[in-house]
Amino acid sequence: MQYFGKKTVTLIMTLFLVSVAAFLAFQIIPGDVVGSILGTEATPEREAKLREELGFNDPPVVRYMNWITGVLRGDLGKSWRYSKSMNEMMPVAELIGDKLPVTLWLAVLSVLLIVIVSVPLGVFWAKSRGRAADAVFSVLTQTAMAVPSFFLGILVTYLFGMVLRWFTPGGYVSYQDNFVGFLGYLIFPALSVAVPKIAMTARFLRNSLLTEMSSDYVRTARSKGATEQRVMYGHVLRNALMPVVTFLGMIIAEIVAGSIVVEQVFGLPGVGRLLISSISTRDLPVVEILVLYITAVVIVVYFLVDIVYRMIDPRISHK
Amino acid sequence: MEDRVGMFPKNENPMIQIQNLSVCFGGTEAVKNVDLEIARGEILGVVGESGSGKSVTALTVMGLLSESGRITSGRVIFDKDVLIESGERLNRALYRRYQGQRMSMVFQEPMTSLNPTRRVGAQVEEMLMLHTELPRQQWREKVLESFVSVGLRDVEQLYNCYPHQLSGGMRQRVMIAMAVILHPDLIVADEPTTALDVTVQNQIIALLREINQKEHNAMLFITHDLNLARRLCHRIAVMKDGRVVETQSAKDIFENPREEYTRSLIQAVPTRVRCKARPGESATGTGSAVSGEIRRPVLEVHDLNVYYQEGTNSLFGRRKRRRVVSGADFVLYPGEVMGLVGESGCGKSSLSKAILGMNRNVEGEIRHFSTRPQMIFQDPYSSLNPSRTVGWLLQEPLRAAGRLDKSRQMSEADMRAAACDMLRRVGLDESCMNRKPSQLSGGQRQRISIGQALITRPGFVIADEPVSALDVTLQAQIMELMQRLQEELGVAYLFISHDINVVYRMSDRIMVMKDGEIVEQGDTEELFAHPREAYTKLLLQEDLE
Repeated sequence: MQYFGKKTVTLIMTLFLVSVAAFLAFQIIPGDVVGSILGTEATPEREAKLREELGFNDPPVVRYMNWITGVLRGDLGKSWRYSKSMNEMMPVAELIGDKLPVTLWLAVLSVLLIVIVSVPLGVFWAKSRGRAADAVFSVLTQTAMAVPSFFLGILVTYLFGMVLRWFTPGGYVSYQDNFVGFLGYLIFPALSVAVPKIAMTARFLRNSLLTEMSSDYVRTARSKGATEQRVMYGHVLRNALMPVVTFLGMIIAEIVAGSIVVEQVFGLPGVGRLLISSISTRDLPVVEILVLYITAVVIVVYFLVDIVYRMIDPRISHK
Repeated sequence: MEDRVGMFPKNENPMIQIQNLSVCFGGTEAVKNVDLEIARGEILGVVGESGSGKSVTALTVMGLLSESGRITSGRVIFDKDVLIESGERLNRALYRRYQGQRMSMVFQEPMTSLNPTRRVGAQVEEMLMLHTELPRQQWREKVLESFVSVGLRDVEQLYNCYPHQLSGGMRQRVMIAMAVILHPDLIVADEPTTALDVTVQNQIIALLREINQKEHNAMLFITHDLNLARRLCHRIAVMKDGRVVETQSAKDIFENPREEYTRSLIQAVPTRVRCKARPGESATGTGSAVSGEIRRPVLEVHDLNVYYQEGTNSLFGRRKRRRVVSGADFVLYPGEVMGLVGESGCGKSSLSKAILGMNRNVEGEIRHFSTRPQMIFQDPYSSLNPSRTVGWLLQEPLRAAGRLDKSRQMSEADMRAAACDMLRRVGLDESCMNRKPSQLSGGQRQRISIGQALITRPGFVIADEPVSALDVTLQAQIMELMQRLQEELGVAYLFISHDINVVYRMSDRIMVMKDGEIVEQGDTEELFAHPREAYTKLLLQEDLE
C-alpha cells in the first residue's frame, strides 16, 4: 500500500511536469496568433483588445496557473478557430467532449482484441515449435506486422463492408444514439488497429515462452512428473508474461495516442481528425489539450503496467 | 567416518540398472556404453569433469533428456521395468508415473531450479497434487512435515516465501524436501552442493546421508569433486569423455586407483598435504619483510569501511547506506600472495571493488604504490567480450593505459608484439590471436583473462575466485600458471577464494573474512597450524571431516 501511495505521488508529479512542458512548448511556437485569428479584420485596436482578452499580456506563470487551474476544473479553454455562435468562441471541452469517447472506445476494443487473441496464439505457437504450424505462423505474423494499418483498413472495409456486407462503410453510428450499434461498427476499425499488434505481441510472447521453457525450473517441474500442460500453465506462462506486460503497455500507449490514420480511413469522428485539423489551422488551445491528453494517457498506462508487473513478479515487491 | 565398503554385494536386487547406454547429441556421442547399477540403500557417486557425460547420464535416467538427445544403444531398467531403450522414443506418459513418485531429482542451482514466481510451499505441494489422492486440506500439513524433516525451521512462515527470499542452503533444502516428500526409491542429485558455501555444503551432504540411512533408497550422486564423493558415497564411478573408466568402492578408489586418469584426478585435488614450495621463501616470517630488507608495500589499506547505497528508483525512497566491509586493515608487499577466504556475501568482492576504485563509497585509507592494479574474474565465459578476438582483448588494457597516460602510448606493432609475448607466457599458441573467446575452452579463456590482467605489468592483481568455475585438473594448471607468472613478473596477488585449500596452495599470507570483517590474518602455515578464531577453526575443520 505504501508502495502504491508513493507511486501515485510520483505519477501526479510527473503529470505536473508534463503539463508545464506542454505549456512552455506552445509559448515558444513562433508567429503572431492574434494577427492570424483576426485575419483581414485586424486593426491595432482590435489586436490589442484580443490580446488582452486572451490574457497574452499576463506574465507566463500567471498564464500557466490560469490554464492549469482551468484544466483541473474542466475548463479547457476556448478554440481559436471554431465558434459556437457569432460572438462566442467554442470551448475546447465541448469540441473534444463528443470525440474523445470514440477514440477511447476504439482503443479499448483494440486492446481487448490484442490480449484475447495474442495470448492463446502465442502459447499455441510456442507449443508447435519445429512443426509445420511454426513456419506458417512465422510467415503470417511477419506479413501482418508489415501491412500498414491504413491499407489493412481498406482491406477490412472491402472484405467486411463490400463483400460480406457485415457493416456499411462510412455508416458511422453515434454512441449517443445506439451504443451497441456503435460498438458493432467500431469492431472493424479496431481490427485494423489490432492485427499488426496481435502479430507483434504473439511473436513476443512466443519468444518469451521459448526462453522460459529452457530454464532450470521447467526441468524441475518435469522431473516432478508434471504434464506439458501443467508445465506451461502452472509454471511457464506467468514468468513469460512479465516482459509481455511491458510490451503491451507500450502498444496500448501507442494505440491510445495514435489511431489517427484508422479514424480517417473509417470516417470516425475521433480526436485524431481533430488533432490534424487543429494543427493545420494553428488552433493551439486544442492542440495543447490534446498533447496533454496523449502524454497523460501514456504516463497513466505505464503507471498501470508498473502495478500489474508488481502483481505478477513477487521479486519486485520484496526487494 | 564409518566404513561403508562391502555393505553392498554386487547384483543384490539393483534398484536401477543402466545397461550399455549411449547418448548422442547431433553427431557427437556424449555418453558411450555406460554400465552402472545402484542397489537399494546404496549411494553411487559419478565423478568426472565437465563434459564427461555424467549429467547427461543422470538426465537420461530421469527421462529429462532434451529433444536433441538420442539414445543410440542400451537401456535404463528401473526395478525390473524398462523405462527407455535405444531406438524407442522417450515415453513421457510412462515416465510421468515414475518421476516425482518413485524417482526424484535435486539440481545444482537451487535459485534457478525453483520457479521464481511461485511460493515454495505451493511448489512442494505440487508433488502431492500430481501423484497422490490426498485431500487438499492435508497438503499443507504434509509439506510442513517434509520441511521439518529436512531441517528447515519456521516452516509456517517459510511455506509462504518465494525462492528469492531464502538463502542458497534453504533453497536446496526446499528442493530436497520436494524430492523426498513421496519417499522415492531413487534420488538423483546432480552437483547439489556446488553452488553452496563450504559450511552449507557440509550440512547438505550430512542431510543426504541421513535421508539415505533413514529411507534406504538408492541415490545417484553426480559431482566433479572427488573428495565430496568420498565423504558420501559407497561406490564411485569415474567418467571421462562419456565413458566410465573405473568403478570401485569409495575407499579402494582412493587407495588403489586402477586407471591413470583416476590417479591424476586424485592428485589434482588441492589438499593440505602438499606444501607450497616456492624458491626464495623461508618457511618462517611473514614472507615479506624477510632478511631485514625493508620493502615498500604495493598496497596499504587502513581502517577501511565500504558501504553500499541501497538502490531505489523512486523519487522518495530513503536511500539506505549499508556497511559491507568494516575496519579492513592490511598491507600487501611486492611479489607476495595474500589469500582472502570467506563465504559468499562476506564482503570479499566488495573489498576488492573498493581497492580498485569501482566503489568510492568508502571511509578510511587505500594507498596504492603501483600503476593501475588489474583484476582476474571468476567466470571466463562471461567476463570476456564475445565479439572481439583474443588479440584485441589482450591489447585492450594497453590501449586504455595509453589513452589515460600519453607517456605509456604504444604503437600498434608494439602492442601486438606484447600481446604475442603474453600469449606465450600464459601457455597459448600464437594462432589463438585471431580467435574469438567462444572458440576457446574454459581453461584457455581463463589464461586469456590472466594475460589481460598482467599485460600492463601492474604491481598487483586482484584475482577474484579465478579457478572456482574450472574443473580440478584445470584448477591445478591455472594455479601453476599464476605462480609461474608471479615469479617471472614479480607481481603481487590478492587471491580471493571460498575454497580454503586453493588459498592454502597459493598464498604466503591469509586473511579470513566473515560478515565484512577480517577476523584473522597471518602467515599461511601459522594460520593453518594454529588458528586462533573459532570461525577459522570451523572453516578448516569442516573441510577435513
